[in-house]
Amino acid sequence: MNAKTSDFLADYAATLLGCGATCIRIEKNLKRLAAGCGVTAQVQIMPAHVTLSVSDGSGHSRVISRPMARGGINFDVNARLSRLSWAVADGHLSADEAIERFQAITSEAGRSSQWRELLLASVANTAFCRLFGGDPASMLLVFAATLVGYRIKQAMIARGRDVRLAFLAASFFSASISAAGHVFHLGGTPEIAVGTSVLYLIPGVPYINAVSDLIDRHYLCAFGRFTDACVLTACLSAGLCAGMYLLGLYDL
Amino acid sequence: MTYDMIFSLLTDGCFAAVAAVGFSTISKTPSRAWLWCGLTAAAGHALRFALLSGTGLHIVAASTVAAMAVGLLAVLFAPRIKCPAEVCLFPALLPMIPGMYAYRTVQALMACIASQDESQFIHCFYLLAYNGFTCSFIILGMVIGANIPIFIFKTISFRATR
Repeated sequence: MNAKTSDFLADYAATLLGCGATCIRIEKNLKRLAAGCGVTAQVQIMPAHVTLSVSDGSGHSRVISRPMARGGINFDVNARLSRLSWAVADGHLSADEAIERFQAITSEAGRSSQWRELLLASVANTAFCRLFGGDPASMLLVFAATLVGYRIKQAMIARGRDVRLAFLAASFFSASISAAGHVFHLGGTPEIAVGTSVLYLIPGVPYINAVSDLIDRHYLCAFGRFTDACVLTACLSAGLCAGMYLLGLYDL
Repeated sequence: MTYDMIFSLLTDGCFAAVAAVGFSTISKTPSRAWLWCGLTAAAGHALRFALLSGTGLHIVAASTVAAMAVGLLAVLFAPRIKCPAEVCLFPALLPMIPGMYAYRTVQALMACIASQDESQFIHCFYLLAYNGFTCSFIILGMVIGANIPIFIFKTISFRATR
């Protein structure tokens, strides 16, 4: 049993879990990759860990457990790791070359432009405001609120603060800034501005992954992802409530 | 179909596409998938708009049907961009999130807590339940509807990156 290969398979599964892949994808990719490396792998996926049982043809096997890789949702890594598994399975890469490629993918994972992400997320939330019927004044407020809130979230996560606290703070500041429409009577749709200002924080990927895992009968993972998403939604709601309460926006 | 309706459909689709492309950067979607994310979101959101305004379908049913269309398009586009179907699917679904229902749920919750008498509380509680249920069932319908095509067309969905 080659320990290097089995460690690689465990790291591969932990990285896929961390970057937001569904359980069915992790299983399929891992089995394909293991077959390409000349071993068989059984994977047990838990909400925050993966455990692999890797066997070679000679009757030797090894059990390895890895915590989920912490890097946040990353579809680029998800796509590149899926392609890597096919490259190995189709014989285009050896196991050693695959390990090198894997290390290159994981080391490049965090290198996206934070400023581009900030700007595009703000523009997206502004478009969201328009979809809900917001007028230009509300759109402008939502843009400013998202810009500030998203930057706070980025800075807090970069400094290692708890992600739930980051969601709470970002939603509080976004809601408070967008409430300027109510306070200073800007535009005709101030309610839409406040309601839209925190939507960039909705954890859509965990919700959708939870249902995918549920359909594929990975009930523990489904429950784990759903609970994670509910906790984040509760945090953003608490921030929104605090902002609304501070500015007296709770009268129906 | 009137000129106003067509114009509304197009603008709705365009803003949904902008929202999807912007939100796709949050989940680090590869840039080669942006165009397809935008197209998928525009088609899904415009379909929901047409179903709501053209057929009078309930928003939960309309969102579920539109999410299934989004899921189907994501599965079809996935092999073209050599990415898993989820890469297009998730950002394209986000513009359909019932944000205003969620906001009104939170607002009604706060009004419930701040209410002074029973009749006011009952009214606020009704708003809380109505908006909360509608929001929850829209999201549930969307995520189930979007996942169905991925599981029906497993062969395409899980071989897209080959």
